[in-house]
Amino acid sequence: MQGLTRRPLATAGIAALIVAAFIPFFCHNYIVDVALTIVTYGILALGLNIVVGYAGLLDLGYAAFFAIGAYTTSLLETLTGLNFWETLPFSIVFAGIAGIVIGYPTLRLRSDYLAIVTLGFGEIVRIIATNLDITGGPNGIYGINPANFFGHDLTAPKAVYTLALVFLVGVLILVIRLGQSRLGRAWTSLREDEAAAEAVGVPTLRVKMLAYVIGALIGGLGGSLFAARFGAIDPTSFTYAQSVSILIIVVLGGRGSIPGVLVGAIVVAGLPEALRFLHNWREFIFAVALIILMLVRPQGLWPARLRHIAAPSVDEAHATPHADPAEQIAETTAGEPDVLLEARDVSRVFGGLKAVAGVNFTVHRGEILSIIGPNGAGKTTVFNCLTGVIPPTSGAIIWNGRPLTKLAPHKVVARGLARTFQGIRLFDNLTVFENVLVGMDHRFHVSLASEMAALPYARRETHLHHAAGRNWLEFVGLASQAGLRAGDLPYGDQRRLEIARALAGQPQLLLLDEPAAGMNPTEKQSLMGLIRRIRDLGTTVLLIEHDMLLVMGVSDRVIVMDRGQVIATGSPQDVQSNPRVIEAYLGSDEEDEEDAPEISSLPAGALA
Amino acid sequence: MSEFVQLLVAGLTTGSFYALIALGYTMVYGIVRLINFAHGDIFMVGAFIGWTVLSAVAAMHLPWGIGLLIAVLVAMMLTGGIGVIVERFAYQPLLSAPKLSILITALGVSLALENGVLLIFGPRFLTYPHLISNAGFTLAGAQISDVQVGIIVLSFLLMAALYVFVHHTFIGTAMRALAVDRDAARLMGINVERIIQITFFLGSTLAAAAGVMEGLYYTQINFFMGFIVGLRAFTAAVLGGIGNIPGAMAGGLIIGLLEAFSAGYISSRWTDVIVFLVLIGTLVIKPTGLFGERVVERM
Repeated sequence: MQGLTRRPLATAGIAALIVAAFIPFFCHNYIVDVALTIVTYGILALGLNIVVGYAGLLDLGYAAFFAIGAYTTSLLETLTGLNFWETLPFSIVFAGIAGIVIGYPTLRLRSDYLAIVTLGFGEIVRIIATNLDITGGPNGIYGINPANFFGHDLTAPKAVYTLALVFLVGVLILVIRLGQSRLGRAWTSLREDEAAAEAVGVPTLRVKMLAYVIGALIGGLGGSLFAARFGAIDPTSFTYAQSVSILIIVVLGGRGSIPGVLVGAIVVAGLPEALRFLHNWREFIFAVALIILMLVRPQGLWPARLRHIAAPSVDEAHATPHADPAEQIAETTAGEPDVLLEARDVSRVFGGLKAVAGVNFTVHRGEILSIIGPNGAGKTTVFNCLTGVIPPTSGAIIWNGRPLTKLAPHKVVARGLARTFQGIRLFDNLTVFENVLVGMDHRFHVSLASEMAALPYARRETHLHHAAGRNWLEFVGLASQAGLRAGDLPYGDQRRLEIARALAGQPQLLLLDEPAAGMNPTEKQSLMGLIRRIRDLGTTVLLIEHDMLLVMGVSDRVIVMDRGQVIATGSPQDVQSNPRVIEAYLGSDEEDEEDAPEISSLPAGALA
Repeated sequence: MSEFVQLLVAGLTTGSFYALIALGYTMVYGIVRLINFAHGDIFMVGAFIGWTVLSAVAAMHLPWGIGLLIAVLVAMMLTGGIGVIVERFAYQPLLSAPKLSILITALGVSLALENGVLLIFGPRFLTYPHLISNAGFTLAGAQISDVQVGIIVLSFLLMAALYVFVHHTFIGTAMRALAVDRDAARLMGINVERIIQITFFLGSTLAAAAGVMEGLYYTQINFFMGFIVGLRAFTAAVLGGIGNIPGAMAGGLIIGLLEAFSAGYISSRWTDVIVFLVLIGTLVIKPTGLFGERVVERM
């Protein structure tokens, strides 16, 4: 809860919880029962919110984890005589294991495919529970003991309600802390743009898996509570409709918004009760109300707000040891060989098209090297092969003397290659500052648990993290925009933010894919200055660019590609007078005898 | 052998329903990237409209063939109209909103259709008028009814018609253009909203045809019949590669056969488990379904 702006919300939330805690003292048992249902749904929806709201994965089978928790508690209690509290860890762990079992093979799927797979998983769990004898078949399990608290059975609705509320508070603290953690930020980056997240070093598969498993754990907890509340369970409580209800809570309330999810739980679990006077029309009116609410508020009733992390002040950031850009870069480049990267005979075939056909080149430490060539020459494909986005069909990439092939993009980033994209790919709904923080995330290693517990060394690392991020923003000249939504920045600033995000990962090699595209001459001038300053820090720069003024002005060497091959390499001057290069750009003499001008007579910018 | 043929024909029959419904899922997904969760209920509405028309026609003592034709056509047209209305009011305003919002309105429409039919027709099963005799013939020791043959033939005719429509008409070309790039299609002068409505119309008419045939085949209909059939058809669309029209047809037939054989040789209690395990297994090996194209992300 940093920053003054968040205090009113936190205060209101705590006040609401206190009021909720007093419901049993003032209200009729019926109201308490409805409130208990709302709280149970609230817990489940907070769990699903991690998957759907934070990480942006569609899950239509969340009730499966709820079922696994409920059946684990019920079976252990009735078969082994354990009490509620003793079964609780098993419920949570089994639900988590189920999350791993279903998540591991399927989380690589695109989101819509994931939807049907999770739906199928939910149905499989329910059908198994219906068909096995041990789970009591369609009749389910009876005679489950209530939770016991220091000798008192929690059977009365009021007592169960209080227990559920305590669970809700625990889950709330957990999900709020998770949302503020580095993992929470990684989830959001995943939701915003999965490929970009991977390309700036977020291990997307693992991060997805964590969302799925933590969501499952909370589902298991909700299941145990459910079993202890009713004393009996059967498969009809764990249907697809149940999963859908929980999903509706999350989306209607506001994906990723904790107050939103709680409001959603109140609406979805409470509204049908309030509509009882409609008798037969109740469900129909509820459905229509749901459609109308969604049409009126597509972002949800209480949409998630931009998460603001205050960037440290200039002085504070400068005073933090090891947070200075030059020092950060020097850390990574010390003692490495002079040849940074070598592409050996790299090829990439798409269907019948040889986009890259046996390319060889070396990148020397500390240089600015440009790759130029007509559109379709294979430049971006080379970038994609270097950064692990697509594997080369053949050939090898040698990085600091060791092969760098078949690594996932986030691992390539960890080795020290960072990139920007031809079309800007920022995390639009994160702040400028947070975009940079995501870029440097892979450098930090404090465990999630110690981060959430705010242990001293974890706080130190967070402090360094923030100071370094602040300094990178300053390096590209965006320090004063730190708190803005990244998607709201003007175009040129977005380009610079993308560069800052890539630099924040302490790369030895920075790959820039057409950074000057769409920039005006003034912006291009300042970009040239920025590229030189990056090189001066010690970071090698590999640049794809069509703007010849910029290429010729800034590059130490130039590689020219055409039709998937390197046709020339050398200094800017050598390349400009190379006949093969002129032919690639302007056509050969046979095709165009009279009009081909002497390239040497042209100004440096003419090739653009 | 006779049991095998019997199951094969039964599987092809239900597979035809699934294929027709799966086409609606896949066309809508291909064009607006929406999993239309109300589509199973559109199928159910088609069955109820067909029942209403058939009951009325039965009282007029027309030859059964003509009565049936009227019922199928009326059900297709009216259900198609409902599909368009649903699209116009529940989906179109959200086409540029976050994807999950429109998914929730689809779930809302699904609930509204089910409960609307419940309010009008009540919770009990309705019995389809007995128009066609149970006569049939024997093939390799298996009893095959005329209804089964009629369903399979009509389904294949409808699917062929759709395929020709999508590939050989201007509107079909516009639909395919939309599937590739909606904004570019708009810039080329295609009336995007209209094409989307036509897509919903076509998908809904096919589902309605399946609904009437299902009523004739199983003779009983109920307001919740759309859920399980819709789920299987959606599974079929994904299995075939969602967005891919031949994939939906093949997926539907595969799911129908899987259902028939698992019920015949194992137990119908485990049908859904088997269907979903096959689906999950397929997707793990081929992440975009049997016929789906691998989507290469541009950087």
